[in-house]
Amino acid sequence: MSKENILVIDDEKNIRNNLTKCLTDYEVETAVNGEEGLKKFREKEYDLVLLDMKLPGIGGIDVLAEIKEVDPGAIVIMITGYGSVETAVKTMKLGAVDYLSKPFTCDEILEVVESVVKRKQAEMSEDELSTYDEFVDYAKNCIVDRQFSKALKYLQKAVSLDTSNPEAFNLMGILLEMENDVLEAQKKYRAALSLDPTYKPAQENLDRTTQRDYSKEGMNFGGKQNKKD
Amino acid sequence: MYVVIIGCGRAGSSLANLLSQQGSDVVVIDKEPEALQELAPEYSGFKVKGDATEIEVLKEAKLDKADVVVITTDNDNVNAMIAQIAKNLYAIPQVLVRVIDPAKEIIYNDLDVYSISTTNLLVDKFSRQIKNN
Amino acid sequence: MDIIIVGGGKVVYHLTKIFNAKGYRIAIINKDEEYCKYLARELKALVIHGDGSDPDSMKEAQASKAEAILALTGSDPDNLFICQLARKKFGIPGTFSMINNPDNEKIFKSLGIKTIFNTTKLLSILIEQKVETADVNNLISIEEGRVSISQIILKKDSPVLNKTLKQLDLPHDIVLGSIIRDKDVLIPRGETRLLEGDKVLVITLTENQGKAFAALTGQK
Repeated sequence: MSKENILVIDDEKNIRNNLTKCLTDYEVETAVNGEEGLKKFREKEYDLVLLDMKLPGIGGIDVLAEIKEVDPGAIVIMITGYGSVETAVKTMKLGAVDYLSKPFTCDEILEVVESVVKRKQAEMSEDELSTYDEFVDYAKNCIVDRQFSKALKYLQKAVSLDTSNPEAFNLMGILLEMENDVLEAQKKYRAALSLDPTYKPAQENLDRTTQRDYSKEGMNFGGKQNKKD
Repeated sequence: MYVVIIGCGRAGSSLANLLSQQGSDVVVIDKEPEALQELAPEYSGFKVKGDATEIEVLKEAKLDKADVVVITTDNDNVNAMIAQIAKNLYAIPQVLVRVIDPAKEIIYNDLDVYSISTTNLLVDKFSRQIKNN
Repeated sequence: MDIIIVGGGKVVYHLTKIFNAKGYRIAIINKDEEYCKYLARELKALVIHGDGSDPDSMKEAQASKAEAILALTGSDPDNLFICQLARKKFGIPGTFSMINNPDNEKIFKSLGIKTIFNTTKLLSILIEQKVETADVNNLISIEEGRVSISQIILKKDSPVLNKTLKQLDLPHDIVLGSIIRDKDVLIPRGETRLLEGDKVLVITLTENQGKAFAALTGQK
């Protein structure tokens, strides 16, 4: 299976180094400014573009607009600096799928990239879904896309397949948090923990929601469980 | 490991290069842009230009996420202040500080901070060497 | 020595006068050699030319005997170090520090150092006991940083010479702190008469500084 192609457009060498070093599971190409980035983007197909908001010459936002014009379906993640959340949100409206603010850890980059790449893959027909994991993964993507009732539907399907697995319950908790019902969310996290007291994502979510300075930041969606088969 | 290095002089930049090569997530803070340019071309960490005694700058570097803070500016008083901000306000697990004037090391007496006085280190090693010969 | 003052500029002169008047013995540590010479001439205090964050300077200032230290330099890291050195090495119980950047208040307070935002407030508090409290309270209730302190020397063309404070009828937002006449410190009262050569400490809102200056010197 061939690796996904990622284009990194950033004028700072250390950032290009950082992303190249971190994204070893992908084919990474780099560009030092907007012009070079657009040139490469027009010549080749990329699965994902990591674009710095602050670039010399053509600014990041303009590069984003150009990329979207060349390919409206292009997947772009913005790299932002400190204190530019407002502008970052603006880029989402212009079509960026997500943003990451510097400095970020390698784990954070991988998480965002993976979720974006997976979301793309999960655009398979809903009728093809049949296993617990497939239902759960699809539900996760629905949550991220804010299709909450769809997410719930698939989580319920997952639970009907396996009532002892905490993963779906944890995600139901996430869903409820996204809908701002923290109390009900905590019930789901507790339910997940009663099924498996060692299930860390639910424990983390429960801890996070019981803090005085409550914040949705750091929600744990849970990862792949180790399968015995 | 998330490492924040404050002061991009010879020691700070060398450590930053080494740690980022070894795979840690590194952020370097320095007031002077020229100092930040001293980092190796292969440096793969982050750079923040600013005064590390200012809380805004520490926020920009996301100090609250740090596992380790290394403080190596050329000013003992500044180093001491940042060390205490890191330990008392941010509860960073490992805080390492460089001390220039050995007479000032006393400031770290009751602090859970790893301080190194380069002068003392030198004197210690030299005196051992002299003794051995 | 009872109180050590580090750094501070013009205010040090007035502070020392006031402290002495209250019976405290003062040691001053300052980096400016010329200013040190001036202070040594004009004040009854132990004046040390040096860096307050240097343990040797503190030793010269007889720090181990002091009750309190005031760190008034323009550098917050220096002030922090001075206070901590004072406590950890010399056991000085009262540590007070000026804070130049308000964001730093937290770290100072967490280390048990009492914070002063500007020396004006410190002076106001010192003077408070002897001045009409209404005037000073007006100032203390004003936001930090909007208050200025200045020293005005009354020359022979000053329009306020030989007038009493009551006669002057200064607006409420201009407060006269201490008046230094020859070597004495006077705390102004309604009947205090202003004389040529008086060094008057004026505490005002920053935007009224010009007005106060004009009122006392006759110049714009």
